[in-house]
Parts: sequence; C-alpha cells; structure tokens
Amino acid sequence: MKLADLEARFYELVTARDSVAVTVAEGGPEVRRAVEQMVVGDARLPAIARLEIYADMYFTRLRDVLAEEYAKTAAALGGAAFHPLVVDYLDACRPDHPSMREVGARLPSFLAAHPAGARRPWLAELARLERARLEMVDGADAETLTLEALRTLPPERFATLDLRLVPSHALLATRFDVVPLWRSDDPGAPVPAPSPTALLVWRCELEVFHRAVDAEEGDWLRRLESGDVMFASLCAGLGRGRSDEAAAARAFELVGRWASDGLLRAPEPEGSELPPR
Amino acid sequence: MIGRMEGFAALGQGLGLRPPFYEAAATGASSGTAVAAVDWWEVISENFMGEGGNPRRVLRAARARRPIVLHGVSMSLGSTDPLDARYLDRLAALAAEIEPAWISDHLCWSSLGGHRAHDLWPLPFTEEALRHVAARVARVQERLGRRILVENVSSYLTYRHSTMSEPEFLTALAERADCGLLLDVNNVFVSAHNHGFDAVAFLDAIPRERVGQFHLAGHETLPTHLRDTHDRPVCDGVWELYRHAVARFGDVATLLERDDHIPPLDELCAELRHAGEIARASRGGADK
Repeated sequence: MKLADLEARFYELVTARDSVAVTVAEGGPEVRRAVEQMVVGDARLPAIARLEIYADMYFTRLRDVLAEEYAKTAAALGGAAFHPLVVDYLDACRPDHPSMREVGARLPSFLAAHPAGARRPWLAELARLERARLEMVDGADAETLTLEALRTLPPERFATLDLRLVPSHALLATRFDVVPLWRSDDPGAPVPAPSPTALLVWRCELEVFHRAVDAEEGDWLRRLESGDVMFASLCAGLGRGRSDEAAAARAFELVGRWASDGLLRAPEPEGSELPPR
Repeated sequence: MIGRMEGFAALGQGLGLRPPFYEAAATGASSGTAVAAVDWWEVISENFMGEGGNPRRVLRAARARRPIVLHGVSMSLGSTDPLDARYLDRLAALAAEIEPAWISDHLCWSSLGGHRAHDLWPLPFTEEALRHVAARVARVQERLGRRILVENVSSYLTYRHSTMSEPEFLTALAERADCGLLLDVNNVFVSAHNHGFDAVAFLDAIPRERVGQFHLAGHETLPTHLRDTHDRPVCDGVWELYRHAVARFGDVATLLERDDHIPPLDELCAELRHAGEIARASRGGADK
C-alpha cells in the first residue's frame, strides 16, 4: 500500500463525522476488509477499535481547545448544544494552521450562520469578542505613550503629536451589547437587547482588556487605525458643534483615556523616521 | 564513555515549560528552591510563534537563565503533503532569536490535503516511508542549518505492510538523514504494551551515538491499552526502563513532560531529582 493511499484512508476514517465503526459499517464489507488489511488487529483491540482511539483523540483534543477558547460562548450556548456545534464546525472548517490556537479562528463566523447561532445571534458576537481577546494575547508588542509621558510633553509638541494605536487592538461592531453576557458565567443570564455597540479590545503590557466605546470615540479610533491623525486634527474634528474649549477638553479627555489604557504608541524619537504604516 | 553526536549536550534534567511555570522560569523565583532543580526548559515551538505578548517575554527571560530546547508538534515529517515552508520560516526565525540548544519534532504525520490533525499519527515502517521521511528531515535540517532530533511517538496501531520494526526504521532514518533521535522512554513503554513487543529490546536496537535526549512522562492504563496522557507521575515500569536507557545511552539530557493535571513545581522537581539520581548512579555515584 502506497504511503499516500494509506494516509488518505486513515485521514478519512479518523476525521469523519461519525465513529470509525459507523463509517466502516456504512462502507460495507469491502471497506471493512480494506481496514483489516491495513491495520493489525488482535482479540484485545481489533483494527477498527485501534483506529477509533485516534478518532476519539482527534475530536476530543480539538473540542477541548474550542471549549477552552470559547468558554463563555460554550456556557451561554449550553454544554449540550456546544458538542454538536463543534462536530459541525470541524466538519466544515478543518484545521489548516500549524498552531492549535488557530483551530477556532473561524468559529464566530461559522456560528453566525449555524442554526444554533441564527436562533441566538448574540452568541456569534460573544464568540467574536472571545476570539479577539485571544488574538491579543500574543499579538505584536509596541512601546506605549504613557499618561506620565503625555503630561510632560512640551505644549508646542501637542499639536503635531501623531496619534497611533498599538498593534494589539481590535475594534468590533456588534448588534448586541454582549459585555454583560461576557461578564456573567451564568448560562441563564438575560438575553442581551439589540443595541449596536462598538467594542474595543486591546492588550496593555501583558493583560487583555475590552470596553464599549461611544460612537464618537469609535469613529476616531477607526481614523487612528487608518493613520495620519494628529492631536490638532482631533481637536479640529471634535470642534464641529462644540466651542473650541469644549473640543479641546474632549480631545484631552480621549487622548488621556487612550494613554491611560495603553492604547497609544510612543512617538518616534525626534529625527527618526516613522515606520511604514 | 559513549561517543555522542556533536550538538546535543548532556544538559541534565529539564522540564516542559507550561503556563503555570512561566513566572518561575522567567524570574527564577519559586516556592522553596524547586526551580533550581530545572537545568533546562523544553517549549512547544508552536506556542511561542506569536509576535509578542507574554509567551515571547517569558521565553526570552527563561532563555536568559537556562538553555531552551524547541520541541515541535507540527512539522508533519511523514505527511505526503509538501513541507510547510512558512512554518519552517517561522521556526527558523524563532530559533534565530532564542538560540535553542536544539530543535526536535516527531516521527509521525499530522496533516493531509492542507488540513492539520494536531495529533501524532503513526507511519508504516516501509522503505517508501523511510525514503520519504529521510528526505524531508534532510530538507528541514538544511533549512534550519542544524541537525534535529526526531522522536518516537506512542502508538495504538501498526500497519500490516510494515517491513521493518520501529527501531530499525529509526536507526535507518538517523543514518540516512544524519539526524539525532529523541528517545521517549514512556512512548516506548506505551507502544510496547499496545503492540506486544519487548521495550528493552527496542532500546537495545537503537544506536547509542544517535540519542540526544530522553523524554519521560506518565500514561493512563485502560483495560485494552495504555494511553499516553502526560497527566500523572512517571510510573515504576517507565523508571525501570529509564534506568536501562541511561545504562545504555549514558547521561543524556532528560526532559519530564507534564501537560495536564499539572501539580506544583516542587512535585515535578522531585521527579526530576529522581531522574538525576538515576543518571548519577549510572556514573558510579559521581557528581558533575
């Protein structure tokens, strides 16, 4: 038997939706014979039982990873419903990355289109939040602009202060406010009401945080993501419908919060070139 | 004295670096003096390939204190899929930064058609598989610019058309690819039980000079088979086999793996010290 043929047969049997025993039974005597000709079996462990060990390990390992990474989604969904979701997910979205961490990368979008998610659309949004938090854990590092550094910045530097976000951040737009659901480990927690929400997820030092942001802050964070936002342009943009003093106060409030959160990159030293965006 | 391949030093007794030990590894601080018993750390390469955050911080800090070995689970040396060049690039980049004592992965396959199993599936021990794996190990070594160690996996099945034993396959692979071997003593014990071969004869058939590292771990005893679980202490039978391995292969770097039901560091270090005592006894009681 050629190696490629063996691997194809093994893979088909071990990763099938059903157990190896069911898959072989459905295949008929020819498949059973082929399995017995491929794998050594004995009275203690027949060939099919030996393949079943690998099938169990394949599914259990991946299910456990998903259950750990999506602990809150699984709790909200209920353990009994999480298992069939995982079966469907692994059938549709086979792992294709060398890192185990990527096994669940497509679960939020899969859940959004899955019957379990269609009935409770906030679940996929909760899963997106859990995923975003996970992705921040080992995202790229960056030196941050601290509140202390901001306070000691010479006044003449403020206008041209380049506001850039640290790389380990994400902005999520959700139709439901899933933050209370994330905080609660109670599967019977109240269903979140429809409420379009902008969620900011980021890592400061080694810890991952998230919080809801209002529409104005969300809009400016998106502009910061695109680049070319200086403190002066933030003040000018916030001036629409506000006095100059109120706009400046709001700009200081936002920048102060972002610096306090560890969301802003430290400015490049004078004279150095900015890295490409 | 056993002549060992260059590049695989007798590092002493090491531990798999898992999240509960991150701070101890990074700072050298632990309750009591436990962490002092850890001569080196082995990390799962794929868990440290992210760009930043705590894993990379810990790895850099741990490396400043102790030697690090990169142990991979996703090279898929036996797969008929092409080798994953991007994966190898990332591994090479990690190695360039961390400067590990060495790099290892498994004699197995774990991917097909671009899909990943995240498991260690057994290969048939045939001439075709040997040619295939040896060529891939050679390509990996060329890409990484160093010899690697290839580990025997625990297995639950064998194939009817295998034409050689596992030790014969490992020996031929080491010679053809000019690689080293990571001998997992627990895996030998588990597979010997599951397939009914003699574990001591397995060790005796492995060439002395090719073994660069040992693994020790715990397994679960089920009615029909042993299951490699890394979730409990090393059992007496594996310690006995380890004694034989040390007697045959010498004072090889030894790594204790624990992936589940992880106890306090003190408890694992007691096992490490036991491994150290066995190694010392093999030197006639001499310290080094």
